[in-house]
Amino acid sequence: MLKATLLHKTAPQIAQEIHACIGCNECLLACPALAEPITIDILNRETVVGSISPAVARFARSCYQCGACVAPCPVGLHRDAMMMWLKLRLWRSDQEED
Amino acid sequence: MLTSDRPRQAAPAALSREKEGESGYPRLFFYPTGAWALAFIITLLVIGGGAAFYVWYNRPGADTFPGSTVGLIYAVIATIFFILAAAGYALRRRSRKRAVGQLNASLNWHIFLAIIALAFAFFHALGHFAAISGTYALIGLIALALSGIVGRWLDRVLPRMITAEVDAVLTAQGDDRGETLSQELRAIVTEHSLAVPPRQSADHHAAGGTRSPALPAPNALNVPWDLAYISLEPTQQELDRDAPHYRFIPDRKSDLSRVDVLLPPAEKPMAEMRRMQRAMSREQRYRWLIRLWRSVHITLAIVAVGLIIYHLIFVGVLFLPGLIH
Repeated sequence: MLKATLLHKTAPQIAQEIHACIGCNECLLACPALAEPITIDILNRETVVGSISPAVARFARSCYQCGACVAPCPVGLHRDAMMMWLKLRLWRSDQEED
Repeated sequence: MLTSDRPRQAAPAALSREKEGESGYPRLFFYPTGAWALAFIITLLVIGGGAAFYVWYNRPGADTFPGSTVGLIYAVIATIFFILAAAGYALRRRSRKRAVGQLNASLNWHIFLAIIALAFAFFHALGHFAAISGTYALIGLIALALSGIVGRWLDRVLPRMITAEVDAVLTAQGDDRGETLSQELRAIVTEHSLAVPPRQSADHHAAGGTRSPALPAPNALNVPWDLAYISLEPTQQELDRDAPHYRFIPDRKSDLSRVDVLLPPAEKPMAEMRRMQRAMSREQRYRWLIRLWRSVHITLAIVAVGLIIYHLIFVGVLFLPGLIH
Protein backbone atom coordinates (compact mmCIF):
# COMPACT_ATOMS: atom_id res chain seq x y z
CA MET A 1 0.00 0.00 0.00
CA LEU A 2 1.40 3.37 -1.00
CA LYS A 3 1.63 5.98 1.72
CA ALA A 4 -0.77 8.86 1.11
CA THR A 5 1.08 12.11 0.51
CA LEU A 6 0.01 15.40 -1.01
CA LEU A 7 1.35 15.32 -4.59
CA HIS A 8 -0.11 18.55 -5.86
CA LYS A 9 -0.09 22.14 -4.73
CA THR A 10 -2.80 24.19 -3.06
CA ALA A 11 -4.28 27.33 -4.65
CA PRO A 12 -2.14 29.75 -2.58
CA GLN A 13 1.00 27.82 -3.61
CA ILE A 14 -0.10 27.92 -7.26
CA ALA A 15 -0.65 31.69 -7.02
CA GLN A 16 2.85 32.05 -5.54
CA GLU A 17 4.38 30.02 -8.37
CA ILE A 18 2.59 32.06 -11.00
CA HIS A 19 3.88 35.26 -9.45
CA ALA A 20 7.39 33.77 -9.47
CA CYS A 21 7.19 32.80 -13.18
CA ILE A 22 9.65 34.84 -15.25
CA GLY A 23 7.88 34.03 -18.54
CA CYS A 24 10.86 32.40 -20.25
CA ASN A 25 8.60 29.90 -22.09
CA GLU A 26 10.95 26.96 -21.38
CA CYS A 27 8.11 24.86 -19.92
CA LEU A 28 5.96 25.31 -23.01
CA LEU A 29 8.87 24.48 -25.31
CA ALA A 30 9.46 21.22 -23.42
CA CYS A 31 5.79 20.19 -23.43
CA PRO A 32 4.82 17.28 -25.72
CA ALA A 33 1.10 17.84 -25.11
CA LEU A 34 0.91 21.43 -26.32
CA ALA A 35 -0.27 21.39 -29.93
CA GLU A 36 -1.05 25.05 -30.60
CA PRO A 37 0.83 28.27 -29.84
CA ILE A 38 -0.13 29.68 -26.44
CA THR A 39 1.73 32.50 -24.75
CA ILE A 40 2.87 32.01 -21.18
CA ASP A 41 1.20 35.29 -20.14
CA ILE A 42 -2.24 34.08 -21.19
CA LEU A 43 -1.65 30.70 -19.56
CA ASN A 44 -0.56 32.28 -16.27
CA ARG A 45 -3.46 34.74 -16.31
CA GLU A 46 -6.08 32.05 -16.91
CA THR A 47 -4.64 29.47 -14.53
CA VAL A 48 -5.92 30.85 -11.22
CA VAL A 49 -9.12 32.82 -11.86
CA GLY A 50 -11.26 34.20 -14.65
CA SER A 51 -12.57 32.63 -17.80
CA ILE A 52 -10.57 29.93 -19.60
CA SER A 53 -10.06 30.41 -23.32
CA PRO A 54 -10.69 27.42 -25.65
CA ALA A 55 -6.97 27.06 -26.52
CA VAL A 56 -5.92 26.99 -22.86
CA ALA A 57 -8.75 24.56 -22.03
CA ARG A 58 -7.65 22.22 -24.83
CA PHE A 59 -4.08 22.38 -23.55
CA ALA A 60 -5.18 21.73 -19.96
CA ARG A 61 -7.19 18.67 -20.97
CA SER A 62 -4.37 17.35 -23.16
CA CYS A 63 -1.72 17.72 -20.42
CA TYR A 64 -0.87 14.26 -19.14
CA GLN A 65 1.23 15.29 -16.15
CA CYS A 66 4.47 13.82 -17.50
CA GLY A 67 6.52 16.46 -15.71
CA ALA A 68 8.66 17.32 -18.76
CA CYS A 69 8.03 21.00 -18.00
CA VAL A 70 9.55 20.91 -14.50
CA ALA A 71 13.24 20.22 -15.25
CA PRO A 72 13.78 23.06 -17.79
CA CYS A 73 12.32 25.77 -15.52
CA PRO A 74 15.21 28.07 -14.52
CA VAL A 75 13.45 29.14 -11.31
CA GLY A 76 12.33 25.65 -10.27
CA LEU A 77 8.57 26.06 -10.70
CA HIS A 78 6.07 23.24 -11.20
CA ARG A 79 4.06 23.95 -14.34
CA ASP A 80 2.50 20.47 -14.02
CA ALA A 81 0.94 21.53 -10.70
CA MET A 82 -0.37 24.72 -12.32
CA MET A 83 -1.86 22.64 -15.14
CA MET A 84 -3.46 20.37 -12.54
CA TRP A 85 -5.17 23.40 -11.03
CA LEU A 86 -6.49 24.34 -14.48
CA LYS A 87 -7.73 20.78 -14.92
CA LEU A 88 -9.44 21.00 -11.55
CA ARG A 89 -11.18 24.23 -12.51
CA LEU A 90 -12.45 22.63 -15.71
CA TRP A 91 -13.51 19.51 -13.77
CA ARG A 92 -15.39 21.52 -11.16
CA SER A 93 -17.13 23.64 -13.77
CA ASP A 94 -18.36 20.37 -15.28
CA GLN A 95 -19.63 19.19 -11.86
CA GLU A 96 -21.41 22.48 -11.23
CA GLU A 97 -23.25 22.23 -14.56
CA ASP A 98 -24.47 18.72 -13.56
CA MET B 1 -16.65 8.35 -8.67
CA LEU B 2 -15.44 9.79 -5.43
CA THR B 3 -16.80 13.27 -5.99
CA SER B 4 -20.33 12.14 -6.71
CA ASP B 5 -21.06 10.98 -3.14
CA ARG B 6 -19.36 13.89 -1.46
CA PRO B 7 -21.43 16.94 -0.53
CA ARG B 8 -20.06 19.72 -2.66
CA GLN B 9 -19.09 22.98 -1.08
CA ALA B 10 -20.36 26.25 -2.41
CA ALA B 11 -17.99 27.48 -5.10
CA PRO B 12 -16.58 30.94 -4.67
CA ALA B 13 -17.44 33.71 -7.07
CA ALA B 14 -14.07 33.36 -8.78
CA LEU B 15 -14.86 29.83 -9.87
CA SER B 16 -18.37 30.59 -11.07
CA ARG B 17 -17.02 33.36 -13.30
CA GLU B 18 -15.25 30.83 -15.48
CA LYS B 19 -18.57 29.70 -16.90
CA GLU B 20 -18.22 32.62 -19.27
CA GLY B 21 -15.25 30.85 -20.89
CA GLU B 22 -14.51 27.24 -21.71
CA SER B 23 -15.71 24.67 -19.16
CA GLY B 24 -15.94 20.92 -18.62
CA TYR B 25 -13.53 18.02 -18.74
CA PRO B 26 -15.07 15.35 -21.00
CA ARG B 27 -14.08 11.71 -20.72
CA LEU B 28 -13.35 11.54 -24.46
CA PHE B 29 -11.83 14.42 -26.39
CA PHE B 30 -9.85 14.73 -29.58
CA TYR B 31 -8.24 17.88 -30.92
CA PRO B 32 -6.75 17.22 -34.35
CA THR B 33 -4.44 19.96 -35.61
CA GLY B 34 -3.34 20.67 -39.17
CA ALA B 35 0.01 18.94 -38.56
CA TRP B 36 -1.79 15.88 -37.19
CA ALA B 37 -4.13 15.72 -40.22
CA LEU B 38 -1.16 16.00 -42.60
CA ALA B 39 0.74 13.21 -40.81
CA PHE B 40 -2.41 11.05 -40.81
CA ILE B 41 -2.98 11.51 -44.57
CA ILE B 42 0.67 10.74 -45.38
CA THR B 43 0.51 7.61 -43.21
CA LEU B 44 -2.64 6.43 -44.97
CA LEU B 45 -1.09 7.04 -48.40
CA VAL B 46 2.18 5.23 -47.57
CA ILE B 47 0.45 2.22 -45.95
CA GLY B 48 -2.17 2.20 -48.73
CA GLY B 49 0.58 2.18 -51.38
CA GLY B 50 2.44 -0.63 -49.61
CA ALA B 51 -0.75 -2.65 -49.17
CA ALA B 52 -1.81 -2.17 -52.82
CA PHE B 53 1.57 -3.41 -54.02
CA TYR B 54 1.37 -6.32 -51.54
CA VAL B 55 -2.02 -7.40 -52.93
CA TRP B 56 -0.85 -7.00 -56.55
CA TYR B 57 2.41 -8.88 -55.91
CA ASN B 58 0.86 -11.80 -54.01
CA ARG B 59 -0.36 -13.54 -57.14
CA PRO B 60 0.24 -17.25 -57.91
CA GLY B 61 3.79 -17.97 -59.09
CA ALA B 62 5.34 -14.89 -57.48
CA ASP B 63 8.33 -15.23 -55.15
CA THR B 64 6.63 -14.70 -51.80
CA PHE B 65 9.66 -15.45 -49.66
CA PRO B 66 10.59 -12.72 -47.12
CA GLY B 67 14.17 -12.92 -48.46
CA SER B 68 13.02 -12.16 -52.03
CA THR B 69 13.80 -8.78 -53.60
CA VAL B 70 10.32 -7.43 -52.83
CA GLY B 71 10.48 -8.83 -49.30
CA LEU B 72 13.87 -7.20 -48.73
CA ILE B 73 12.59 -3.85 -50.07
CA TYR B 74 9.73 -4.02 -47.59
CA ALA B 75 12.25 -4.87 -44.84
CA VAL B 76 14.48 -1.91 -45.71
CA ILE B 77 11.51 0.50 -45.77
CA ALA B 78 10.26 -0.88 -42.40
CA THR B 79 13.73 -0.45 -40.87
CA ILE B 80 14.07 3.13 -42.16
CA PHE B 81 10.66 4.11 -40.75
CA PHE B 82 11.44 2.37 -37.46
CA ILE B 83 14.73 4.27 -37.10
CA LEU B 84 12.97 7.55 -38.02
CA ALA B 85 10.23 6.89 -35.44
CA ALA B 86 12.69 6.05 -32.68
CA ALA B 87 15.38 8.64 -33.37
CA GLY B 88 13.19 11.54 -34.58
CA TYR B 89 11.29 12.05 -31.33
CA ALA B 90 14.29 11.30 -29.09
CA LEU B 91 16.45 13.86 -30.93
CA ARG B 92 13.68 16.48 -31.00
CA ARG B 93 13.27 16.19 -27.22
CA ARG B 94 16.96 16.89 -26.70
CA SER B 95 17.18 19.61 -29.33
CA ARG B 96 17.77 23.20 -28.22
CA LYS B 97 16.10 24.64 -31.33
CA ARG B 98 12.45 24.27 -30.52
CA ALA B 99 9.20 26.13 -31.06
CA VAL B 100 5.99 25.87 -29.05
CA GLY B 101 3.96 22.91 -30.31
CA GLN B 102 6.84 21.36 -32.25
CA LEU B 103 7.37 18.56 -29.76
CA ASN B 104 3.71 17.58 -30.04
CA ALA B 105 4.01 17.44 -33.84
CA SER B 106 7.14 15.33 -33.39
CA LEU B 107 5.25 12.98 -31.06
CA ASN B 108 2.50 12.61 -33.69
CA TRP B 109 5.11 11.72 -36.31
CA HIS B 110 6.68 9.26 -33.84
CA ILE B 111 3.33 7.44 -33.64
CA PHE B 112 2.58 7.52 -37.36
CA LEU B 113 6.10 6.47 -38.44
CA ALA B 114 5.95 3.56 -35.99
CA ILE B 115 2.60 2.45 -37.47
CA ILE B 116 4.10 2.62 -41.00
CA ALA B 117 7.15 0.61 -39.83
CA LEU B 118 4.89 -2.03 -38.30
CA ALA B 119 2.76 -2.27 -41.46
CA PHE B 120 5.84 -2.69 -43.69
CA ALA B 121 7.34 -5.28 -41.33
CA PHE B 122 4.07 -7.17 -41.74
CA PHE B 123 4.29 -6.85 -45.56
CA HIS B 124 7.93 -8.00 -45.38
CA ALA B 125 6.79 -11.32 -43.89
CA LEU B 126 4.74 -11.95 -47.07
CA GLY B 127 2.49 -14.34 -45.21
CA HIS B 128 5.29 -16.36 -43.57
CA PHE B 129 4.77 -16.47 -39.82
CA ALA B 130 6.74 -19.58 -38.80
CA ALA B 131 8.44 -19.56 -35.39
CA ILE B 132 11.70 -18.01 -36.59
CA SER B 133 13.65 -14.89 -35.68
CA GLY B 134 11.68 -12.62 -38.07
CA THR B 135 8.35 -13.57 -36.51
CA TYR B 136 9.74 -12.86 -33.04
CA ALA B 137 10.93 -9.45 -34.24
CA LEU B 138 7.46 -8.76 -35.71
CA ILE B 139 5.80 -9.81 -32.43
CA GLY B 140 8.19 -7.47 -30.60
CA LEU B 141 7.17 -4.60 -32.89
CA ILE B 142 3.47 -5.37 -32.43
CA ALA B 143 3.91 -5.40 -28.63
CA LEU B 144 5.77 -2.09 -28.84
CA ALA B 145 3.05 -0.48 -30.97
CA LEU B 146 0.32 -1.81 -28.67
CA SER B 147 2.13 -0.47 -25.59
CA GLY B 148 2.30 2.93 -27.32
CA ILE B 149 -1.42 2.89 -28.11
CA VAL B 150 -2.30 1.85 -24.54
CA GLY B 151 0.08 4.52 -23.23
CA ARG B 152 -1.67 7.25 -25.25
CA TRP B 153 -5.01 6.04 -23.91
CA LEU B 154 -3.67 6.07 -20.33
CA ASP B 155 -2.37 9.60 -20.94
CA ARG B 156 -5.96 10.67 -21.60
CA VAL B 157 -7.75 8.65 -18.92
CA LEU B 158 -5.43 8.79 -15.90
CA PRO B 159 -4.96 12.60 -15.66
CA ARG B 160 -8.75 12.95 -15.58
CA MET B 161 -8.94 10.38 -12.79
CA ILE B 162 -6.15 12.20 -10.93
CA THR B 163 -8.17 15.41 -11.25
CA ALA B 164 -11.17 13.69 -9.65
CA GLU B 165 -8.98 12.63 -6.70
CA VAL B 166 -7.46 16.10 -6.36
CA ASP B 167 -11.01 17.47 -6.24
CA ALA B 168 -11.56 15.35 -3.13
CA VAL B 169 -8.35 16.52 -1.48
CA LEU B 170 -8.61 20.27 -2.08
CA THR B 171 -11.40 22.50 -0.81
CA ALA B 172 -13.44 24.69 -3.16
CA GLN B 173 -11.05 27.53 -2.36
CA GLY B 174 -8.09 25.31 -3.23
CA ASP B 175 -6.81 24.77 0.30
CA ASP B 176 -5.64 21.45 1.68
CA ARG B 177 -8.75 19.69 2.99
CA GLY B 178 -6.58 17.65 5.38
CA GLU B 179 -5.44 20.81 7.13
CA THR B 180 -9.04 22.03 7.45
CA LEU B 181 -10.16 18.68 8.86
CA SER B 182 -7.23 18.59 11.31
CA GLN B 183 -8.22 21.99 12.65
CA GLU B 184 -11.83 20.84 12.94
CA LEU B 185 -10.75 17.72 14.86
CA ARG B 186 -8.46 19.72 17.12
CA ALA B 187 -11.36 22.04 17.95
CA ILE B 188 -13.59 19.04 18.78
CA VAL B 189 -10.94 17.48 21.03
CA THR B 190 -10.31 20.79 22.81
CA GLU B 191 -14.03 21.35 23.32
CA HIS B 192 -14.44 17.81 24.65
CA SER B 193 -11.51 18.09 27.07
CA LEU B 194 -12.96 21.32 28.45
CA ALA B 195 -16.43 19.81 28.86
CA VAL B 196 -15.26 16.66 30.75
CA PRO B 197 -13.55 17.39 34.11
CA PRO B 198 -10.36 15.38 34.73
CA ARG B 199 -11.02 12.14 36.64
CA GLN B 200 -9.02 11.46 39.77
CA SER B 201 -7.90 7.86 39.61
CA ALA B 202 -6.56 5.51 42.25
CA ASP B 203 -3.11 5.76 40.62
CA HIS B 204 -3.23 9.49 41.12
CA HIS B 205 -3.77 8.97 44.86
CA ALA B 206 -1.07 6.33 45.03
CA ALA B 207 1.34 8.79 43.46
CA GLY B 208 0.71 11.17 46.32
CA GLY B 209 -2.04 13.30 44.80
CA THR B 210 -4.84 14.91 46.74
CA ARG B 211 -7.27 12.28 48.02
CA SER B 212 -10.93 12.71 47.22
CA PRO B 213 -13.13 12.25 50.29
CA ALA B 214 -15.70 10.30 48.24
CA LEU B 215 -13.23 7.54 47.40
CA PRO B 216 -12.20 4.89 49.96
CA ALA B 217 -8.54 4.38 50.78
CA PRO B 218 -6.84 1.77 48.56
CA ASN B 219 -6.15 -0.60 51.45
CA ALA B 220 -9.50 -0.13 53.13
CA LEU B 221 -11.01 -3.43 52.00
CA ASN B 222 -13.48 -4.81 54.47
CA VAL B 223 -12.67 -8.42 53.65
CA PRO B 224 -9.79 -10.57 54.85
CA TRP B 225 -6.94 -10.91 52.38
CA ASP B 226 -7.19 -14.73 52.15
CA LEU B 227 -10.84 -14.79 50.99
CA ALA B 228 -9.56 -14.70 47.41
CA TYR B 229 -8.57 -18.34 47.84
CA ILE B 230 -12.01 -19.59 48.78
CA SER B 231 -12.72 -20.72 45.22
CA LEU B 232 -10.38 -21.74 42.44
CA GLU B 233 -13.09 -21.19 39.77
CA PRO B 234 -12.32 -18.37 37.31
CA THR B 235 -13.98 -15.12 38.20
CA GLN B 236 -16.40 -13.39 35.88
CA GLN B 237 -13.72 -10.85 35.10
CA GLU B 238 -11.34 -13.58 33.98
CA LEU B 239 -14.04 -15.09 31.75
CA ASP B 240 -14.82 -11.73 30.15
CA ARG B 241 -11.17 -10.88 29.63
CA ASP B 242 -11.45 -11.10 25.84
CA ALA B 243 -14.66 -9.08 25.61
CA PRO B 244 -14.24 -5.83 23.63
CA HIS B 245 -14.91 -3.64 26.68
CA TYR B 246 -11.93 -5.20 28.50
CA ARG B 247 -9.44 -4.54 25.70
CA PHE B 248 -7.87 -1.53 27.30
CA ILE B 249 -4.92 -1.51 24.90
CA PRO B 250 -6.70 -1.30 21.54
CA ASP B 251 -5.21 -3.02 18.52
CA ARG B 252 -5.87 -1.95 14.93
CA LYS B 253 -9.09 -3.96 14.72
CA SER B 254 -10.51 -2.68 17.98
CA ASP B 255 -13.20 -0.04 17.89
CA LEU B 256 -11.30 1.80 20.61
CA SER B 257 -8.50 2.61 18.16
CA ARG B 258 -10.90 4.93 16.34
CA VAL B 259 -11.04 8.43 17.69
CA ASP B 260 -14.59 8.94 16.46
CA VAL B 261 -15.86 6.14 18.77
CA LEU B 262 -14.55 7.93 21.83
CA LEU B 263 -15.58 11.33 20.45
CA PRO B 264 -18.88 10.99 18.54
CA PRO B 265 -18.72 14.55 17.08
CA ALA B 266 -15.43 13.57 15.40
CA GLU B 267 -17.11 10.81 13.40
CA LYS B 268 -17.85 12.94 10.33
CA PRO B 269 -14.45 14.67 10.00
CA MET B 270 -12.67 11.36 10.65
CA ALA B 271 -14.67 9.65 7.89
CA GLU B 272 -13.86 12.57 5.60
CA MET B 273 -10.18 12.30 6.54
CA ARG B 274 -10.11 8.59 5.75
CA ARG B 275 -11.81 9.22 2.38
CA MET B 276 -9.27 11.95 1.64
CA GLN B 277 -6.35 9.66 2.44
CA ARG B 278 -7.78 7.00 0.14
CA ALA B 279 -8.10 9.61 -2.63
CA MET B 280 -4.44 10.61 -2.12
CA SER B 281 -3.34 6.98 -2.31
CA ARG B 282 -5.29 6.51 -5.53
CA GLU B 283 -3.76 9.66 -7.01
CA GLN B 284 -0.31 8.37 -6.14
CA ARG B 285 -1.13 5.04 -7.80
CA TYR B 286 -2.34 6.71 -11.01
CA ARG B 287 0.82 8.82 -11.23
CA TRP B 288 2.91 5.70 -10.64
CA LEU B 289 1.04 3.94 -13.46
CA ILE B 290 1.79 6.79 -15.89
CA ARG B 291 5.52 6.55 -15.05
CA LEU B 292 5.45 2.75 -15.15
CA TRP B 293 3.93 2.68 -18.61
CA ARG B 294 6.69 4.94 -19.96
CA SER B 295 9.22 2.43 -18.60
CA VAL B 296 7.27 -0.47 -20.14
CA HIS B 297 7.25 1.25 -23.55
CA ILE B 298 10.99 1.98 -23.42
CA THR B 299 11.75 -1.58 -22.26
CA LEU B 300 9.68 -3.01 -25.11
CA ALA B 301 11.51 -0.71 -27.55
CA ILE B 302 14.85 -2.09 -26.34
CA VAL B 303 13.52 -5.67 -26.61
CA ALA B 304 12.20 -4.98 -30.14
CA VAL B 305 15.56 -3.51 -31.22
CA GLY B 306 17.29 -6.58 -29.75
CA LEU B 307 14.97 -8.94 -31.63
CA ILE B 308 15.49 -7.04 -34.90
CA ILE B 309 19.28 -7.20 -34.48
CA TYR B 310 19.02 -10.91 -33.69
CA HIS B 311 16.87 -11.38 -36.82
CA LEU B 312 19.39 -9.48 -38.98
CA ILE B 313 22.31 -11.53 -37.64
CA PHE B 314 20.35 -14.78 -38.10
CA VAL B 315 19.41 -13.90 -41.68
CA GLY B 316 22.93 -12.64 -42.41
CA VAL B 317 24.54 -15.86 -41.22
CA LEU B 318 22.00 -17.89 -43.18
CA PHE B 319 22.07 -16.08 -46.53
CA LEU B 320 25.27 -14.03 -46.83
CA PRO B 321 27.61 -17.03 -47.53
CA GLY B 322 25.31 -18.02 -50.42
CA LEU B 323 25.26 -14.49 -51.81
CA ILE B 324 29.06 -14.06 -51.57
CA HIS B 325 29.93 -17.35 -53.29
